[in-house]
Amino acid sequence: MKFFIYRFNPEKDSTPCMQHYDIALQPEDRMLLDALVRIKAADDSLAFRRSCREGVCGSDAMNINGRNGLACVTRIAGLKEPVDLRPLPSFPVVRDLIVDMTRFFKQYHSIKPYLINDEPPPEKERLQSPEERSKLDGLYECILCACCTSQCPSSWWNPDKFVGPAGLLQAYRFIIDSRDQATRERLEDLNDPYRLFRCRSIMNCTEVCPRGLSPSRAIEKIRLLMVKESI
Amino acid sequence: MRGTPSGLRAWLLQRLTAVYMIAFVIFLLAHFATDASKSYELWRSWMMHPEASIATFLFFTALLLHAWVGIRDVVLDYLQPMIVRLPVLAMAGFSLLAMEAWVARILLLSP
Repeated sequence: MKFFIYRFNPEKDSTPCMQHYDIALQPEDRMLLDALVRIKAADDSLAFRRSCREGVCGSDAMNINGRNGLACVTRIAGLKEPVDLRPLPSFPVVRDLIVDMTRFFKQYHSIKPYLINDEPPPEKERLQSPEERSKLDGLYECILCACCTSQCPSSWWNPDKFVGPAGLLQAYRFIIDSRDQATRERLEDLNDPYRLFRCRSIMNCTEVCPRGLSPSRAIEKIRLLMVKESI
Repeated sequence: MRGTPSGLRAWLLQRLTAVYMIAFVIFLLAHFATDASKSYELWRSWMMHPEASIATFLFFTALLLHAWVGIRDVVLDYLQPMIVRLPVLAMAGFSLLAMEAWVARILLLSP
């Protein structure tokens, strides 16, 4: 199977280049990560992140034939050859398919991704009804792989000011958590021309999320909550 | 900047003006389909009624506000350097204000 992979080693190269690979795959190789492991066995200089190999850690997020995804859950069958593999778009490249996630995590931390509740903690746990808990479905499953944020044009143009789909999804996760008491502060924090409102509902994020989540829906819900709070 | 709508205000303004514009266009098309004026004088007298002229003036106001939010969004996305951003926004703002004044003159002030 033919691959066309982005190569860049800052210690040796001045510019990145694309390298051809032609690898014989075995019948048991079903996912793209299996193929990458075989390529690495042939060419040890290829660098990529991987860990859980089952789509829950988000380490092997990369751009596959123009579309972000996780290599470990992307089936080889159905990939157009030569398979074009690039690092996540617009993120600084550390080496080959490995990107610097610092900016992504900075935006995540900026939305205060922790429960804010000043009441003294109860004996066992803060209670929540099943209905209140079900509001977190579709939000807590985010693995912070950055597929969404890296495919978002608004994130490309304003990466330092726009929080990005992943950050906003997590912001909503805490905004509608019934145990969180800082809802008003969270909504006010997002109410400026950049933090949330660069979003144009392009919806690349929802399209590429490997977990099937919908940052677009979360962002729209935050907007509606902001309107409700303000009127 | 003080005069510029905040994130939420701009977004809401864009949607509310869009709703008004759609409603106005539908109304206008329905009017012309059913009750089209037969001559320029008849059309002009219909247009100069306060309901028609004010509704039309509001339509253009909505259009210019909508355009302002749109242009500002494009500038905020793509023009980072302040030396380019400020003049472009100012020129856009002044042009839209000028158009608003022109529309006001035509619709509200002419005999």
